[in-house]
Amino acid sequence: MSISRRVLCGTALAAAVLSTAPVHAQDPAIKVGVIGPFSGPFAHYGTLFKAGVEAYVASQGGKLAGKSVEFIYRDTGGPNPAQTRVLAQELIVKDKVDYLGGFVFTPNALAVAPLIQQSQTPTVIFNAATSSITEKSEYFIRSSYTLWQVTVPLAQWAAKQGIKKVVTAVTDYGPGLDGEAAFKSEFVKQGGTVVETIRMPIATTDFGPFAQRIRASGAQAVYTFLPGGPPNLGFVKAYNENGLAKAGIQFLGTSETDEFDLQKFGDSALGLTTAFHYSGAHDSPANKAFVVALKKQNPAAVANYASVGAWDGMHVIHKMIEATGGQKNGAKALAAARELQWESPRGPVRIDAKTRHITQNVYLRKVEKEGGVLVNKEVQSFGPQTDHGLNP
Amino acid sequence: MNALSLFKTRALASPQDGDGDAASPRCAPAWRAPLVMLALGLAACLLLPDQLGLLTRIFIMGLFVLSLDLVVGIAGLATLGHAAMFGVGAYAAGVFALRVMPDPLVGLAVGVLAGAVLAAATGAFLLRYQGFTFLMLTVAVAQMVLSLAHKARDWTGGDDGLSGYVMGPLLGQFQFDLEGRLAAFYALAVLVVCFYAARRLVDSPFGMAVRGIHENRARMAALGTPVYRRLWGMYAAAGALAGAAGALSAQTTAVVGLDSLSFSLSAEALVMLILGGAGRLSGALVGAAVFLVLHHTAASINPYHWLFVVGGLLMLVVLVSPAKAVAWLRNRRGGRA
Amino acid sequence: MITFSNILIDGLAYGMVLFVIAVGLSVTLGLMRFVNLSHGAFAMVGGYCVALLTRELQWSFWIAVPLAVLATGLLGALLEALVLRHLYQRKELDQVLFTIGLTFVLIASTNALVGPQVQMVQLPPSLSGSVDLGFRTLPAQRLLVIGVGLAVAVLAALTVTRTRFGIWLRAAVDHAGTASTLGIPIRRVQCLTFAAGAAMAGLGGVLGAEVMPLEPYYALKYLVLVLVVVAVGGMGSIAGSLCAAIVLGLIETASKYLASDWGSLFFFAAMALFLAWRPNGLLKR
Repeated sequence: MSISRRVLCGTALAAAVLSTAPVHAQDPAIKVGVIGPFSGPFAHYGTLFKAGVEAYVASQGGKLAGKSVEFIYRDTGGPNPAQTRVLAQELIVKDKVDYLGGFVFTPNALAVAPLIQQSQTPTVIFNAATSSITEKSEYFIRSSYTLWQVTVPLAQWAAKQGIKKVVTAVTDYGPGLDGEAAFKSEFVKQGGTVVETIRMPIATTDFGPFAQRIRASGAQAVYTFLPGGPPNLGFVKAYNENGLAKAGIQFLGTSETDEFDLQKFGDSALGLTTAFHYSGAHDSPANKAFVVALKKQNPAAVANYASVGAWDGMHVIHKMIEATGGQKNGAKALAAARELQWESPRGPVRIDAKTRHITQNVYLRKVEKEGGVLVNKEVQSFGPQTDHGLNP
Repeated sequence: MNALSLFKTRALASPQDGDGDAASPRCAPAWRAPLVMLALGLAACLLLPDQLGLLTRIFIMGLFVLSLDLVVGIAGLATLGHAAMFGVGAYAAGVFALRVMPDPLVGLAVGVLAGAVLAAATGAFLLRYQGFTFLMLTVAVAQMVLSLAHKARDWTGGDDGLSGYVMGPLLGQFQFDLEGRLAAFYALAVLVVCFYAARRLVDSPFGMAVRGIHENRARMAALGTPVYRRLWGMYAAAGALAGAAGALSAQTTAVVGLDSLSFSLSAEALVMLILGGAGRLSGALVGAAVFLVLHHTAASINPYHWLFVVGGLLMLVVLVSPAKAVAWLRNRRGGRA
Repeated sequence: MITFSNILIDGLAYGMVLFVIAVGLSVTLGLMRFVNLSHGAFAMVGGYCVALLTRELQWSFWIAVPLAVLATGLLGALLEALVLRHLYQRKELDQVLFTIGLTFVLIASTNALVGPQVQMVQLPPSLSGSVDLGFRTLPAQRLLVIGVGLAVAVLAALTVTRTRFGIWLRAAVDHAGTASTLGIPIRRVQCLTFAAGAAMAGLGGVLGAEVMPLEPYYALKYLVLVLVVVAVGGMGSIAGSLCAAIVLGLIETASKYLASDWGSLFFFAAMALFLAWRPNGLLKR
């Protein structure tokens, strides 16, 4: 009988623990579920999301459109589609959230597409950058960027500089492949050649061999995309340590000089060229207000593409709450979101009515030292760019 | 220094542990435990309608850990590569739903077949080795399957995962709903059926032979048992059940990621098995349930501090095995009365 | 030709890191028959010590490294004497699970104490540059890794073959019972060997910080690699670990250069083939 007793005890324990979950009273707070990595090597994304959303709500006086907002954070750990789906299902069915936000990794976002479509929950993507995500459900709105968006102008600029041969080195997953495709198609259109396409496994920690391959390829520049955090750090270090700059191979990056890790490179990062939609050093009153609010919320938080993605994402949710008067009405919220345009810390932005992706300025930046601190200095603006990946 | 002798001396030297009764034949009828499981599962589903996602995950992981128990607890082969069968079953069911037909039961059969075939194919090579070598080879095989799945991104979606398929109605009638009710009942039904099948298998003469091989391989060989073939059969059966668990996972979550083939899934399953007690089959389900519930509650408080909990629990379970703890508790109660 | 020499150098450096971390585990496994899966945590502790000492306390790299190695060795000795020695008589699975539990606790403690972000080891200026070898530039740090790896191998080999401690060690490995009747202090040998293994793992953690970034999950992430080296090289064999580490390092690096989208397939395929061919280790029959 000991088996059944153990089984009984185990299930009783489980039931006891589960039933201690509080009963939900009829409370009027708007519930927003934020799904992202809060543990593991990408945990900084989660911290930055939290800082961004809470700073935004604080800057609006603690309430959005007169309603109080409750945030429920859920940890995905990393790219983990099945776990993300379970978390999202719980948020939608049990916690009855009105909106979802977050999503660092493409596979996690793709996994929740059927759920949000069926439950009509508007979901704002704070970071994931593959173009095809917004096509999977009409309830996806993106406040981040896509690789096509930032890469096409970079390829055009590279061609204008007279660079003829480029090697691409990207992480072997959705956004990386998007970036590779984007650069290749635009650069070839401008008359250049991509001599080699290198794909680096997502688990790579030692980029030395790839740096050597880049050097041996005979290209004049290397275009790269990596997911953020330790891989970016490793790649830039390998670029420097293997003397690629001295060998005359120009660095054409996107998110690699992320403000979160930028100071760790030291002077070896000076001069690195990137094309991206947000720099912490963007010179505008909106950005200055953003940085102040962020630091007030969490002094350790950095103003970078993750925190600004969360900040602007909350702006979208704010406007959706306003439009629906705090009621849960997915279709109405979506209609309102499609018309949004505002001055974000990154510059003027608007939500494209058809693709639900954010149209924004993309800037060419070079790493420089200002006041003893490394910054991404915007040297040129490519103007407003749409998601070129959806209308090639 | 022989890896073989490392494991042999241990097995002979420790007769005192609670594992002793894993070898003794069961007297209870095979349907009793599964029926209890069914009743408990149904009760849980009805009493906790908000937690159906978690319950479904418990049922699926319970099935996976059950299949691991067949290999680790019954056959005595420590493996850290069992997730390969789970993942292969998941991808097979997912690809089948996406490209052929979305019927759940046919997809389940495909997943079971995939898991069994992989287990049979790899087992033919792996089972020639024992102990630490076998353990490391299972890791190698699982990692190779992972690399292949990553390479075949046209079929598996690679790091982006396999998604975009919608499951058809179960038995032609019941649709998979948003709240996850059908998914939970479906998973529970499959779990109960597989538990019954496993119970019958383990109590059969074939199962006895395998348990005998676990106890003392040399003696069984001397008795004329075809040791390699029996182990191979058990490994394939475990692979089939793992494939079933994988297929269920693919069908209920409508997404398959590379994490279903990962080393950490294999390791977690082993931890769940030990927490619940290996060799007893029902221990697998208890371990899975306890681990997942703890993870769910602790991780939502703080994901890193969860590691303190599970690490401490593991060390405790090893130092004070549950059988001994229960015996000690019984003694105390007896003493007071 | 250039690619070939690239693979050789990078593979050698990577292999050396694996060797330095794995050799301690191999000897411990061979000597005490104790499956210690918290070995990766020692590498992590060593790396973290150096990272914190150089960054927070501004100590010189050349002082911080020996200190960190010593500290890791001490931690190993403490753990062994107080906790782990009670598990020597238990089944392998028990040892595996206990040490995994210990690893979890160490990971969670590291995160609680220092935070989840990657720790950078600040190299001194003499090591941060690159050395121009003519056909390629090599980060100076890689040269250090290769040099230290070879030194560790030589030192370990000399200790085992030429010193009295080495004789004690070999006797204890071959037959602990007889060795103790002859007056060899088995407990001391075990504790010192464990501590030495932990210290070397700590050193490996520092050396490998460039290719294996230091973050709390380090202890588990690279455990598989270390176990592979130990399994292929054979438990208790230092020369075997060296061979296995170098060969596997070369294969992994070659696959990064030549077939990066196949991931680690060739590494594990090679491992499986080696193990199938020589189940007891590369250099044993």
